Amino acid sequence: MSKKVLVVDDDPDVRSFVVTVLEENQYIPLVAQDGVEGLEMIEKEHPDLVILDVLMPRGSGIRLYRKLRTDENLNHIPIIMFTGIALRSFLKSQKALDEFKGGEVPKPDIYLEKPVEPEELAAAVKKKIG
Amino acid sequence: MSANKILIVDDEEIIVKLLSMSLRSDGYETVTAHSGEQGLEVFKSELPDIVVTDIKMPGMDGLELLKKIKEIDSEKEVIIVTGHGDIDSTITALQYGASDFINKPVRDEALAIALERAKAKIAIREKLEEYTENLEIKIAEATEEIRRKSNFQRLLIKSSNDAIVAFDHDWKVVVYNPEAANMFGEAVKDVRNKMTIDDLYTPKIAKIFKNQAKEEKQQNTLPWRENIINTKDGRQIPVRYTSNVLYKKGEFVGTVSFFQDLTEIKRLEKELVQSERLAAVGQTVSGLAHYVKNILIGLKGGSYVVDVGIKKNNTDKLKTGWESIKKNIKRVGDLTQDLLTYSKQREPEFEVCMPNDIAADVIQLVEDFAGANGVLISKEFDTHIGEIVADPQTIHRSLLNLMNNAIDACMDDEDVSKKHEVKIKTYKDENNYFCFEVKDNGCGMDEDIQKQLFNPMFSSKGGKGTGLGLLVTGKLIEEHKGVIETETSQGIGSTFRIKLPLEKANAVDKV
Repeated sequence: MSKKVLVVDDDPDVRSFVVTVLEENQYIPLVAQDGVEGLEMIEKEHPDLVILDVLMPRGSGIRLYRKLRTDENLNHIPIIMFTGIALRSFLKSQKALDEFKGGEVPKPDIYLEKPVEPEELAAAVKKKIG
Repeated sequence: MSANKILIVDDEEIIVKLLSMSLRSDGYETVTAHSGEQGLEVFKSELPDIVVTDIKMPGMDGLELLKKIKEIDSEKEVIIVTGHGDIDSTITALQYGASDFINKPVRDEALAIALERAKAKIAIREKLEEYTENLEIKIAEATEEIRRKSNFQRLLIKSSNDAIVAFDHDWKVVVYNPEAANMFGEAVKDVRNKMTIDDLYTPKIAKIFKNQAKEEKQQNTLPWRENIINTKDGRQIPVRYTSNVLYKKGEFVGTVSFFQDLTEIKRLEKELVQSERLAAVGQTVSGLAHYVKNILIGLKGGSYVVDVGIKKNNTDKLKTGWESIKKNIKRVGDLTQDLLTYSKQREPEFEVCMPNDIAADVIQLVEDFAGANGVLISKEFDTHIGEIVADPQTIHRSLLNLMNNAIDACMDDEDVSKKHEVKIKTYKDENNYFCFEVKDNGCGMDEDIQKQLFNPMFSSKGGKGTGLGLLVTGKLIEEHKGVIETETSQGIGSTFRIKLPLEKANAVDKV
């Protein structure tokens, strides 16, 4: 049975790109425009993988990421961060948040900086969920 | 010098002796001679201050001696001793310049008085000489000083970088320096003592100066003002000027005005603004790189989707991909235009236009996008505005930027329960400004964001903003001599209001 992959990105261009890549590689794509919608989808559809943008309106990329990594019911879902933000900046921001909130949120499984070739994205998905 | 040495001349030796003794006891120094010839010799060798001589002597008589002495020194005091009633010789002696007369026989008293008189005369003359000499030196010094000062002032006026023009009480030009000739374009020879204030100045400036002179010494010096003057050869020069009213004993005698050419300063100011702007563009580059990367992501993604569409013969994919590409091509175009607008000096191009129509066009451009994101666009146009003279580009671009920002603010609002709306309003305010207002009920802005609103490279939209939108808008409005006002409340929404002066536009219309 095909696996479900949720794309959370506010940019419709990115969504259509990722959706097409997923379809081409026989995954079932799900889409959400922001973190709030993303969480609803996760709770409803139980995707096998989440491809997540960092910067979205309402700061919800980071919020959703931390929720997915700290919620015991959700932290089994692998995440591919898919963003225009450099990894270093992202890690710095996470470290700052860790210090502020206490505890440590694990680093993302895979971090892809946009733009990526379709093959690269497909390979990353495959690596995580086969 | 005190007159103390007296020459006594008389052919009667006893008289010489007696007089000499008497004068010595009075404290005088005396020298004596017994004839005119001897008297002259002694006079030449002893240089007495006063000569007392008998008139009647054998050989050279007193008159002859007097004449000779006067030839040597016309100022010398010579007292003549005459016999009673010798009127003719007395008259001759007077003609020769005798100082005083004593009758024979000589009485001490009379001689003392005559000597005192002579001494007093000598003293006065000496004082006078001293004064005269001093006076001549002082006058020479003063003349030199005045000449030097006047030369210096002439040089000062001549070499001044300020144009200096002075008028007499009839408003005729009396001072007109080379810089003035340079500035007004009229040669010095054609202006000085020929032109009046009305020939030289624009009516406006001439009026200011004349009024200033009329004001009863209230305002002796005009504060510096700026204006544009027209030169003979048709150039317009921005100047800064002031003027002084000149009074002599309370009477108006003229005015002097000073002009400074501001062309260079204005040019430098412009250059500075321009270079600041270029620097700002430089600062924006990092933000821009991010934005450009996003465009690239869109283009790459879109072309991949198109490829898949072609391969699979899937029209939906083709459409989606092609939309992505088109949208991002447009973003490149917009960005380029923003960059050009921002980095280049641009004068508004005034023309007759209908602001309501422009606003309607802008609404049409953003309506679909807004609708797809749950934002309602509404309008409230003042139909009385009709045609105005303005730069339609400025209105279009500014309005589009504000509308896009307003829609973004709605989409960025955490409160999804709100019914989001962007309202655009046009009207004319009480100051005859054409105004348009874009009001949203989106996320609003905190103080931090407000402070940075018009800063280059600032964007609250992450990689989705260039940080150029309001910068460009601000510049366009500034070039149009308009103003932007902002009201915002976090979580409630923002209002941006642009006001453009209509009078200015109308003035241009008449030209």
